[in-house]
Amino acid sequence: MTAALEIDGLHKRFAARQVLDGFSLHVKRGEVMGLLGPNGCGKSTVLNIVCQLLQADAGQVQLMGQPLGRLGASARARMGLCAQDCALYPDLLPQENLHFFGRLHGLPAAQRHARVKELMESFGLGPYAATRVGRLSGGWQQRLHLAVSLVHRPEVLILDEPTAAVDVAARLELWRLIEGLRDSGTTILMTSHQLTEAERLCNRVAVMQSGRVAALGTVPELLARVPGQAVVTLQSRDSGATIQRAQGLGWAMRQRAGQLSCLLPRQLSLREVVDALDGPEVSAVSVQAVTLEDAYLELVGDDAVIE
Amino acid sequence: MPSRRLLLDQTLAVAQRLLVEQWRQRRGLIFWAVFPAAMMLLFGLVYAHNDSMRAGLDAAAAGILMGAALFFSCLGGTVAVIAAERERRTLRRLLASPLHPAAYFLGVVLAQLLLAAVQVVMLYSIAWLIGARYHGSLWLGGLILLLSVFAYVGMGFFLGARFARRSEEVVVALSAIGVPLLVLGGTFFPLEIMPRAMQAAAQLNPMLHMNQAFKGVAAYSLGVSDLRFELAFLLLFCGLSLALGVRSYRQLLLLEQRP
Repeated sequence: MTAALEIDGLHKRFAARQVLDGFSLHVKRGEVMGLLGPNGCGKSTVLNIVCQLLQADAGQVQLMGQPLGRLGASARARMGLCAQDCALYPDLLPQENLHFFGRLHGLPAAQRHARVKELMESFGLGPYAATRVGRLSGGWQQRLHLAVSLVHRPEVLILDEPTAAVDVAARLELWRLIEGLRDSGTTILMTSHQLTEAERLCNRVAVMQSGRVAALGTVPELLARVPGQAVVTLQSRDSGATIQRAQGLGWAMRQRAGQLSCLLPRQLSLREVVDALDGPEVSAVSVQAVTLEDAYLELVGDDAVIE
Repeated sequence: MPSRRLLLDQTLAVAQRLLVEQWRQRRGLIFWAVFPAAMMLLFGLVYAHNDSMRAGLDAAAAGILMGAALFFSCLGGTVAVIAAERERRTLRRLLASPLHPAAYFLGVVLAQLLLAAVQVVMLYSIAWLIGARYHGSLWLGGLILLLSVFAYVGMGFFLGARFARRSEEVVVALSAIGVPLLVLGGTFFPLEIMPRAMQAAAQLNPMLHMNQAFKGVAAYSLGVSDLRFELAFLLLFCGLSLALGVRSYRQLLLLEQRP
């Protein structure tokens, strides 16, 4: 089966900076693909090219097997974009925003009314039908923002850090809505800085670095790339002595944001770790299973490896 | 190219949205109505008070409509619409939708045209109370009004795309570029008292032709044959405006993506 999105060899340069350098990614139909990477690695540039907001210097994007260049404006009718900024009309009511974008997509009146009603209900916006969008909280605005990008039933949904600007409760609610979309078979390409978000929502994750994909796979596949089963984070008054002892045990050492951590080759309990590192210089220890964050830091090289 | 039906629906959607927004921004709407009304009242009373100027009252009403009311509502309004779309980031969403640039432009024209029609009624009601009269053909006046709104919106797109990234820059763009065009359009001084070079430059200014054409119809009952040069210029400028508007909209895409 053809991929929903086939991105091949994208190059993009802004002045002297090469933002994309041969970026390629295939997004299967019905999957949620997460695009992770440090700031400035080119995630948003990829999304802008896919949404035809930006022209690539080289490379090609295909939507359902057809090149975007050949599809032209009709490709925009088959995709939905939900960026992190709430791009809504604050003086309009929620359903008026939905109707407006529905009309831009050419939805016939009867179909549009039914769709708007359906979205108002499924996104829980009914109680706010008489409230201008500018008076809604950030979380509700973001929820409407997501609903607007779905009004025309896009084949591919592009989410650019969809929960970056909302509080925890709104984030959990948005995750629930995105999970619903995923479970209903919507193809989603999303960027995020929150690794827990990617871990929870994405079928596969692509880690970007220097304008290209540095690693790609399911979350368990990416976790398998970490040279360890668990991570020990510790504080020590004598780092040198602690590092020496940990390395003596065969544990890989890392320095993260000024903090020492060790990658354990197998799962150990906190008691076992404390016993192994026992010494007066160690003041705090915590042990947790390897997460996508550990895999990400290993892959993008943000960890300083202690030899 | 989208179907004509889609183009029409997109145009109507944009116009309806702008009118609903305008209606809900009551304070802006009040100022929008007060400004030309106050201008008409003040200028009208001055003209009516001086015997030597009374004959110019009809032309003054036409000039205030074209040079003050429509200048600020249609040109200023369009610049404000573009700046607000950029500021609210809705422009990016529009650019990512299948909205055709021509439909966006025509939607703004339609909304501004309806607002202009209300301003005409309001302004001429005040003018009538002061003693000014509209003498010429209503359909010809309507045509000039339509062409003028078209031209103003085209200039508004250009100014908005080029010079107004935020709403606070709207006034600056209007003052720096719009007001000199008003002066060259014969709004404040008659063309005859300007130096020859200024007169030649003024001929390229669509505001001059709007002013002269509307004054010609409203105050002096001139017909199509008398105003053929002004009408031809305005018609040509309308085509140019549409091209300018579509081009400016597309340029916004590039401007918005600058890192």
